[in-house]
Amino acid sequence: MRMYLLFTGALILVLQIWIGDWMKLKIVPRLLKNLIKKPMTVRFPNESIPIPEGYRGEHEYDKGKCISCGLCAKVCPNRAIEMVQSENGRKYPVIDIGKCCFCGLCQDVCHTGALKLTKNLVSPIIVDSNKKEKSGM
Amino acid sequence: MSHENVKERELFFGPAHPGSGNFCVKLMVDGEKVLSARADPGYLHRGFEKLMEYRDTMQNAVLSDRICVFEPLAWNLVHAEAVDGLMGVDVPERASYIRVIMAELSRIQSHLIWYGGMSMGIGFDTGFKMAFGYRDYILDIFELITGGRVYPAGYICPGGVRKDMPDTAREKILDVLKRIDEIKMLEKFENPTLLPRLKNVGVLELKDTIRLGATGFVMRASGMRTDVRKDDSYEVYDQLDFDIPIQNDGDAYSRFLVGIREIEESIKIIRQALDELPKGRLKPIKPKLSTKIPEGEIYIRNEVARGEAAMHMVSDGTGSPYRCKIRGPSFLHMIPVLEYLLKGVQIADVPAIYWSLNPCPADMDR
Amino acid sequence: MSKEKALVEKIERKFGVKGKAERKRIWINIRKENMIDLCRYLKELGFEHLSAISVTDFIKRGKYELVYVVWSYHDNIAIIVKSEIEREKPVISSVTEIWKESAQIHERELHELFGVEFEGNADLSELFLENWKESPPFRKDFNWREYVGKKYYYKQDEKEKIYLEAGI
Repeated sequence: MRMYLLFTGALILVLQIWIGDWMKLKIVPRLLKNLIKKPMTVRFPNESIPIPEGYRGEHEYDKGKCISCGLCAKVCPNRAIEMVQSENGRKYPVIDIGKCCFCGLCQDVCHTGALKLTKNLVSPIIVDSNKKEKSGM
Repeated sequence: MSHENVKERELFFGPAHPGSGNFCVKLMVDGEKVLSARADPGYLHRGFEKLMEYRDTMQNAVLSDRICVFEPLAWNLVHAEAVDGLMGVDVPERASYIRVIMAELSRIQSHLIWYGGMSMGIGFDTGFKMAFGYRDYILDIFELITGGRVYPAGYICPGGVRKDMPDTAREKILDVLKRIDEIKMLEKFENPTLLPRLKNVGVLELKDTIRLGATGFVMRASGMRTDVRKDDSYEVYDQLDFDIPIQNDGDAYSRFLVGIREIEESIKIIRQALDELPKGRLKPIKPKLSTKIPEGEIYIRNEVARGEAAMHMVSDGTGSPYRCKIRGPSFLHMIPVLEYLLKGVQIADVPAIYWSLNPCPADMDR
Repeated sequence: MSKEKALVEKIERKFGVKGKAERKRIWINIRKENMIDLCRYLKELGFEHLSAISVTDFIKRGKYELVYVVWSYHDNIAIIVKSEIEREKPVISSVTEIWKESAQIHERELHELFGVEFEGNADLSELFLENWKESPPFRKDFNWREYVGKKYYYKQDEKEKIYLEAGI
């Protein structure tokens, strides 16, 4: 496929130079360099760019470490966390993902480390029933 | 009723247009000539100045990235400097250098969006794809350092930065800067698609710039030597060595050239700042719900990619500011300057003039 | 600091006001009647760039405070002029003859959001809001909960209760 493109490109170039437009010659070194360069994109979902540490994704909550102080509800700038009464008499946070802006202030303010942000993107799982299952992380 | 006597028609270069963003200009046209223009802002008005009165400083730092969508780190810096000035806090030197590096990376990224948008508005599709391709490398750096590609969630906050730069960031930044150096060739090719659309189009002379309120790169393209980083210096810019690009013609092509040269100057600043970065480790800043800002007021001016940005903050001793006035550069560029430049031009020149002023509807409406 | 001190003394002698000089900033408080003369004098001294006009609403004292910020490219100094007007009928004369179009657009925005009347401004039509019939929205006594409740819906649930009790 690339050889056909190169051939037609070279043909048009030669024709234009023959007609008398010398300025097009400047493109030739650039053309050859672009031919051997890798593209800027990757073929998702077969390959993907790795996500670094510290990315702010979905929440992960450990109920055993929570002490019900309520600071995460007070610090959220969008009022997305609500403290809800449960059966054993204590209150636990409930997060509304639609209002959350994934800023990470609730993770910073939690003293015991019960609320953390993981690296998962909030994205659906891509499945193709003809081939075997792949997850679109 | 006959339609032969109708001379003027009203045309909306409007909010649902693929080349204009969230902003509407009402044009009165006669054939192909524009007789007058009237700007109609307000499609993105969220009331930031009142929202900031109900939140405390760390929550305001997260909110301040959304003042302008294209350059969130630059507006984080404006808010952080205002609160630091009121509280009388001296930021550690390593944090100041990291702030300068992030602000300059944000400036390069914003100029690349401008170049892509301008090419798309004119019809030069190659430029649009190249600009957004190079911008993606910078967004990968932001993801490594701050945790998010577009919105850094208040990374530059009052007191320094939210967490320190990781050790692998330095090689990654140098590697990306080497790739972006190729942008220089865009200027050398004298593209026959780009030049006739931009040369001698939308000429703003020097005697009209101050009266209409233009600041930043628009004044530099008309011949005036001014830059807030040199005149009213902040952070560590007075210890770094860089130049100010000037052009004399005042047309759309001059503004484009000033933008390309500013990218080269920013690359120089980032390399110097990475060499001079002091050693050490910064402690991460946690949000505290009991901080109070002492009484007083302050006026901070900064240079963002689009011009001069300013914030006037009044505090009355509680945790939230009493009044926070935000002055965006696009408020002046898109209403008085645009209405002045669009008189008597052809309809086909309207997108070229509109995009050459680097418009951002978000920081016009706030 | 010497340039700032010299300028402050010149203005204090001519107008009889008190000024405060800091690094690259000068703060001046003046009465409403002498405001236009001071602005003309500053324009002659070289302060050509009007950076911002703003209004602060002091509801306890019953006054609006107007803030004008001008910058000089020659001296690299910003002068911030403040004056007070009544809160119930806010009227002041406009500075559009001095700083032309850049003052006109700032005053148009403040007229819509705070309700200040600028006498002499040619065009004070609506800018951001459309068909707005209530009181100007950025005043401190505008009850935004009432407005949202009437126009959209009333939200009474546990999440909003802590903010309602705190008065936010």
